[in-house]
Amino acid sequence: MSKILAVFKREYLEVVRKKSFIIMTLLLPFLMAAVMVIPAMLAMKGMEGKRVAVIDGTARLGSAFAKVEGEDPTEEFFGSGEKPKPGANAAEAAKRAFEMKIDYVAAPGDTKAAAQPYLDRLIGKDGGHAAKLDGVLVVPADAFSNPDAKLLYYSRSATDLIAQERLGGIVNHAVSRGRLAARGIDAADADRLLQRLRLEGVKITKTGEEKKGGELSFLVGFVFAALLIFPNLIYGQEVMRGIVQEKTERVVEILISSMPSMQLLSGKILGLAAVGLTQVGVWMTMGGLMALYTGGAAMLAGVNVFSYFNLGVLPWFFVFYLLGYLIYVCIYAIGGAISNSEKEAQQVLGPLMMVAMIPWMLAFPILQNPESTLATVLSLVPVFTPITMFMRVIVSEPPAWQLALSVALALGTIWAMFWMTAKIFRVGILSYGKRPSLAELVRWVRVA
Amino acid sequence: MSDEILLKVEGVSKSFGPVRAVDELSFAVRRGTIAGLLGRNGAGKTTTLRMINGIFLPDAGAIELFGAGDAAAARDRVGYLPEERGLYRKMKVIDQLLFLAEIKGCRPAEARPRAERWLERFELADKKAAKLEALSKGNQQKVQLIGALLHQPELLILDEPTSGLDPVNAVLVRSILKELKAEGRTILLSTHMMAEAEKLVDEIVLIHQGRAVLGGELEEVRASFGKNTVHLTFEGDGGFLAGLPEVAQAQVDTNVAELRLAPGADTQRVLAAAVPRLRLSRFEVAAPSLEEIFIDQVGAGTLAAVEAPRVVEAVR
Repeated sequence: MSKILAVFKREYLEVVRKKSFIIMTLLLPFLMAAVMVIPAMLAMKGMEGKRVAVIDGTARLGSAFAKVEGEDPTEEFFGSGEKPKPGANAAEAAKRAFEMKIDYVAAPGDTKAAAQPYLDRLIGKDGGHAAKLDGVLVVPADAFSNPDAKLLYYSRSATDLIAQERLGGIVNHAVSRGRLAARGIDAADADRLLQRLRLEGVKITKTGEEKKGGELSFLVGFVFAALLIFPNLIYGQEVMRGIVQEKTERVVEILISSMPSMQLLSGKILGLAAVGLTQVGVWMTMGGLMALYTGGAAMLAGVNVFSYFNLGVLPWFFVFYLLGYLIYVCIYAIGGAISNSEKEAQQVLGPLMMVAMIPWMLAFPILQNPESTLATVLSLVPVFTPITMFMRVIVSEPPAWQLALSVALALGTIWAMFWMTAKIFRVGILSYGKRPSLAELVRWVRVA
Repeated sequence: MSDEILLKVEGVSKSFGPVRAVDELSFAVRRGTIAGLLGRNGAGKTTTLRMINGIFLPDAGAIELFGAGDAAAARDRVGYLPEERGLYRKMKVIDQLLFLAEIKGCRPAEARPRAERWLERFELADKKAAKLEALSKGNQQKVQLIGALLHQPELLILDEPTSGLDPVNAVLVRSILKELKAEGRTILLSTHMMAEAEKLVDEIVLIHQGRAVLGGELEEVRASFGKNTVHLTFEGDGGFLAGLPEVAQAQVDTNVAELRLAPGADTQRVLAAAVPRLRLSRFEVAAPSLEEIFIDQVGAGTLAAVEAPRVVEAVR
């Protein structure tokens, strides 16, 4: 036991003392935040002061577009009830971002001819005299009468979805109003009839608690699944590298002559698992502090953050983290033991790891439909259990027997793999250059 | 020296694919002795030591450490210095030593003062906090040796303990090994340097192509070859010595010659033949050197083919 502890300590301290580990641990949360926040900020900045020309073939939408420049565009997105308090920076930025300048042109008859100069301006062919345009919307003359009429939106990028969505909404609203007016319904009635209702997702749990925010637990699911799997892959590689290194540096002779391979392997794996937990612990503490800070601010503003996130899933995170870690690491340990270089080991393990990543690639359908046959079956296959079951735990409440069964199956698999790994490890790790024959391998598994 | 057998190797064989590295090898090491496992490169020395350390499992035969008993407990009573350096390059010397002691069941608190004493002794005290990769090869070898000693093993297994050491360090290591023997520890070492073995070991096992060709107490082995060897140092052309009727086998170099006499030959007749033709500064009748025995047993064929001009063989 004290030997396991010695190996455990060595492995743990060796990694934790590395500068790269410390830097990575402290910096990654900021990097991740930067990766998510910066593009969003850039996108918002890009939307500032958008200028769109509207070529109206019906010549009847002038008043609808005249209203746009004055109105608060955020209302549509946040609803009037929960709108951020005026003066809040984010709200101001969003408002600016959604602002649009409209050049309205009534062009009854030939919209094509009327649109041409604006299209030239859009691509800068006019020599750049007039103010630059970001988009041109063409409304056909038969928009009110022809149900198959199509609105055309020209822009330099086809991905300007928010502007497209919004312009389409304005035109459709006005057209519907016009059609209703043609049936003799007055404008005020039409507006009331056309008022859209907002939809809010509410998650209900067995204890009767109500949780808001389906999308948010979706996001939480992704983030936690990533936290669950990536450290495992990183430290699995570390185990593999360590084993290959001990082989090339011949330390392994001393190790093997001092303790049974099972103890050596246990110490190594547990040491690096502790490293992984340390790192994830630091990340969660940092994340928690940040959440407390921003959450505190949100609470002050009257929003209860804990209605979005269920603290009860945290213990499950650690359970599935450890299960996943032990499963992957055994695979990596075997890879390291039977290979003579890191490169060789990577080649052996590449395809295996692709298989292990299947649930990650299927994250979307699993999160969307956590009780489906696909999700249930995957969560009961030991190699896939950790990620799949944890995603299910986050977004729904899997039956207790499934949870128990998946954990039991995973534990059984780990035990079997651990035993086999120790045996293969014992043979593989000393076969410098020459692979053990199958007969030799079987003999070692029996005897070692 | 007692008659207690500490290590018994019995009919052990080990093959790697088609290569038979060790072939029905048997020998025993008594408590309190220094035993030398001698042989040429590739004779099977390292494979034998690895099997004794439980790194390889023999294909056949049995290895008994400290009498029949718990193999796991026996591990902690053995110290092992592998042939190639086996240390973590990125670890500090002192951490490395404490780790090596700990995996042999010796607590760091116990091992630390010992480690510091040994580092002092090996002139490495200033390297305590250095990373291993910053040390020279010789110093790494010394660290490795300290690592094998810290848990105060009863049996020390050393694979080429002085390889890579300069002569001063080699003398230091040899004197330490003699001290350890005086403390009652048992040492099994392998070497292909006969001069070293001659200075150090009590018993030898000479192996060739995986088989023991010779074994026993060093002095007995030498005596068994008889006091029939004449060592000469001289000026002049000694070529004729090989052709004397009393000489069965000869190695004649520029100024020295080692002559093995035929059974019953009279050393005085050799002296009488040499005196008129050479200016002698030494004429000694002795048992053959270990090196001569070694070459005689395992290397004569190779040497005769490669270095024919140097070795003159006269077989009557």
